Amino acid sequence: MMKKIQHIAYPLFFIVMALLPALLDSRWLVVATTFVIFTIVALSQDIVLGKAGMFNMGQALFFGLGAYTTAVLNAKFGWPILATLPVAILIPAFFGILLAGPIIHLRGDYLLVATIGFNIVFVQAVQNNLGGITGGPNGIFGLDMLSFPGLASFEHFMPYYAALAALFFTLFVINNLESSMMGRALHYLREDDLAAGSIGINTRVHKIFAFAMGAGIAGMAGTMYANQYSAVSPEAFDFIQSVLFFSIVIVGGSSVPGILLGVFVMFVLPEIFREFATWRYFIFGFAMIFTMILRPRGIWPAKFGRIPKAFTEKGRENGQQ
Amino acid sequence: MQQLVNGLTIGSMFALIALGYTMVYGVMKLINFAHGDLVAGSSFVGLFVFSQMLGGEVSLFVVLGVFAFTIVAIALLGFTIERLAYRPLRTAPRLSAVVSALGASMVIQNGIMLLWGPQMHIFPELIPTIIWEVGGVVVSLMQVLIMVLSMILMVGLYLFVEKTKIGTAIRASAIDQDAARLMGINVNNIIVTIFLIGSSLGAVGGLFIGLYYRGITFNMGWQYGLYAFVAAIIGGIGNIPGAMLGGLLLGLFNAFIAGYISSTWADAFTFILLIVILIVRPTGILGERVAEKV
Repeated sequence: MMKKIQHIAYPLFFIVMALLPALLDSRWLVVATTFVIFTIVALSQDIVLGKAGMFNMGQALFFGLGAYTTAVLNAKFGWPILATLPVAILIPAFFGILLAGPIIHLRGDYLLVATIGFNIVFVQAVQNNLGGITGGPNGIFGLDMLSFPGLASFEHFMPYYAALAALFFTLFVINNLESSMMGRALHYLREDDLAAGSIGINTRVHKIFAFAMGAGIAGMAGTMYANQYSAVSPEAFDFIQSVLFFSIVIVGGSSVPGILLGVFVMFVLPEIFREFATWRYFIFGFAMIFTMILRPRGIWPAKFGRIPKAFTEKGRENGQQ
Repeated sequence: MQQLVNGLTIGSMFALIALGYTMVYGVMKLINFAHGDLVAGSSFVGLFVFSQMLGGEVSLFVVLGVFAFTIVAIALLGFTIERLAYRPLRTAPRLSAVVSALGASMVIQNGIMLLWGPQMHIFPELIPTIIWEVGGVVVSLMQVLIMVLSMILMVGLYLFVEKTKIGTAIRASAIDQDAARLMGINVNNIIVTIFLIGSSLGAVGGLFIGLYYRGITFNMGWQYGLYAFVAAIIGGIGNIPGAMLGGLLLGLFNAFIAGYISSTWADAFTFILLIVILIVRPTGILGERVAEKV
């Protein structure tokens, strides 16, 4: 049942998203691009928080690291945007391993505070113009546009379609992760990492893997972000952003539809109801409390990882806990 | 030496705020993200009480009035948060409570913004500027008052928790809520009590911040709240003397970094210190090693 819905819903979603720019003026195109980019970040957060169950409140760090990698390579070294993409995925992933390594054994709230700490250190380092390449509090601006030969007239839509392609790639990766041994191991880790360890899952390696993967995907979103605004600045990657991504994943229920809904409510609705802009977080705060009271597992709770039919008895579809 | 005095002053404020975090964490195992915003709210309520309700003239009576009104108002706000945002989630998954706490924090922070606007406000000068110079070190009356009052409150709290019946019940609930309940302790009342005490201490901390730094903004709660929380972790979270020690150490650390290295790097160094402590000794300086089951 769920699978059938997915088979129809995913292609439908991408067809709608692909046709969307035809209906939007340039302001709404920016909103749509932002929506796609933040969805990617929220999905990357979901790999760490929702799937592996690690309280990570520093995802904006990796998002920012990707954006800054692209910006520095493009503005200071003249690399084309597309060429910076692999680096902007690898550097955050590498830092994900490096930072997660020593703190991965921390549990729950301690991990949460440590990741907040990393995020704050990152923002302050960037603000203080570390190494003289990050441009200080103003950031870096005047980046090149992403372009392909022969598609010059199409340049206006490029950031949107690039972001959409990245989203497609992200969903593809997450989909494969769900039905792989790695994904099942992560689900198991989230439920009980002691039990997971005792049946032979290397908890440390899997946790670091989840961190690195989330970081790499967030870094890719960072490239898209730098490409869309042709600029990066420190406050866009503040830990308050991490708090928002964290909340989106939990309120949404760490499922793809829930996260899409969460990002839409958090970033698109305020654009529609501009007159309520100052009331935005006040209302979101209440919404977060009431959602958690009424639906503690989120608006659209994820089912336990997709277990191949061969592993389940008598075709029980979803072995929900 | 000058940095020592400054460090102890801001350290006392961190310690007062940290107590609110550590007590709530000790009993509920929940980071009360809204606590920092209660502290910020306290500065604004104090400003409001002083200029709108008590006429804006400084006298001993007025200063005491400002403190009394603000403490009561913030304690009530803390009580309300506990009732609305935390109590319904007592048995819910851990992450739900964390998000609810974040939601409460956003509500208070933006509530302040909607009431007072996003601009910086200047806190009134309630304590006359009297400055002594002792051997080349400048000490103001306000710094002395902040340190002495904080010390009295902290010692008072320590004695309350260690020596009274309610204090024993608080410690029992922190160790094991179910066992405490079996011993006839009303854990819900205990949680209300710690929220009232924690918010009151936070309110005093917020007024001190207003007095000491003068400029107050609606979003400063996150900053001071995080610092205080770091202090609580450094001292060993859930441990009341630990929070006091952690607050003072963090204040000194901060003052020395700002004084001798660079104030623009103060946050980064503070959090690097935090991460190092979490790696080396996750239970903090005075914390006991407890096996935690998430």
